[in-house]
Amino acid sequence: MSQFRAKKLDLGGFINIRVIRDHTKRKVFEQYEPDRQALRYIIRNTSLPQRMRAQAQLELSQMHAYTRSTQIKNRCVAGGTARSVIRDFRIGRYQFRQQALAGELPGVRKASW
Amino acid sequence: MVEVDELSGNSISVAVRFLHEKRNVTLLTLYGLAWENQAVAGTVSEILYSVGIGVDNHDQLAPASRALLSSSSRLGNANDSQTTVPEQEGLEEPVASPQKSESASSVPKGIKGETSTQPPSEAEAPIKEWGSRLDDINTNARLPRSVQALYLRPLRRKAQYGLPVCDLQLRSYSVRNLEFFADFAIRAAYYLNLPVSGPVPLPKIVERWTFPRGNFVHKKSQENFERITLRRLIQIKDGSPQAVQAWLAFVRKHAFYGVGMKANIWEHESIEIAKNMDQALPEIEKNLESHLSQFGRREDATSTPDMLPTFLGNERLSLRKGPLTNVRGE
Repeated sequence: MSQFRAKKLDLGGFINIRVIRDHTKRKVFEQYEPDRQALRYIIRNTSLPQRMRAQAQLELSQMHAYTRSTQIKNRCVAGGTARSVIRDFRIGRYQFRQQALAGELPGVRKASW
Repeated sequence: MVEVDELSGNSISVAVRFLHEKRNVTLLTLYGLAWENQAVAGTVSEILYSVGIGVDNHDQLAPASRALLSSSSRLGNANDSQTTVPEQEGLEEPVASPQKSESASSVPKGIKGETSTQPPSEAEAPIKEWGSRLDDINTNARLPRSVQALYLRPLRRKAQYGLPVCDLQLRSYSVRNLEFFADFAIRAAYYLNLPVSGPVPLPKIVERWTFPRGNFVHKKSQENFERITLRRLIQIKDGSPQAVQAWLAFVRKHAFYGVGMKANIWEHESIEIAKNMDQALPEIEKNLESHLSQFGRREDATSTPDMLPTFLGNERLSLRKGPLTNVRGE
């Protein structure tokens, strides 16, 4: 959502709107994580009054979608692809293949066994 | 090429610059090796002195070069007269000083009868062609001990108790770099008086990936990639913590490209550790007082059930509504 987005571009490397969006989601999640955890604690604490716990449930469900960790998706830093991104290198499979064949990934080479 | 000006004083840098101008590459590399190896054991000036270079300033360059040449051939003769190089394992003390002084002092003795080509006064000696000079060096002069040691297995100290103090794990994707650096670390440990065991080859870490060759469909044609991480373990036994720290700092300072390091250090305490800790406790408590007083709940503070509703009614939570949370038509 644009209200969370930084006014100036705060990201380097490959840029497209999906990359920026994912970046924004990561920042928002980080900012609101303590609030979410506090609400979760209230909801699960059986020693608190039922009314308060229900209220906390409502609050939690009313929080913005961007504050959820499940919104975060790893994207390729070289091409922005969201699918088949290798965690070790943070790039997609086709980018990985190209860079590996060009010898840009240290230690990676064609395997044959 | 070693950076001489950093390492040494005026005289040596002058000598090397002179050598460099004359493009005496063999000599240069030879002394370069000597310096690198001796970085721990002795100073550069000592080494240079041992092989016969001693130049004070620019004015003495020409005689100095003659002196250098004659001394190199002398060295060869002196070496012939001496006994052969002792066995590497039998060599207990560091390679550095005693043999150097020996060779330097024995130089003038051996010269007279054996070298007919050497005139008595060095200043008037005819300078030979460069080719023959290089031959002289290659055939007659022996390498300095420290350089010889590089061709042999690294020296090791014997562990007295065998108590492990530090585990250094080296990782790399290339065997060459890894082996070289492990060797370097072991030699450095020897000069720091640290008993070493290793390098132990640890199991390789093999990671493999398979991906379609194309960027779209065509799952049937795929390609395999792998990354093999090689590991070596170097273990230091009974060293003082200071020596181990110095060794680790040295190894880090001269870290080799493409080789990663990871160290586990164990420190051993005396058996009165509990008593010492009890003694140190009051001071630690005094230091922590300011931090610890921040923790816990104050008795006069309002209780939690009163605070939670204020938290739940927080603007921050309630005003930031999510998208599509408004009921349609409102």
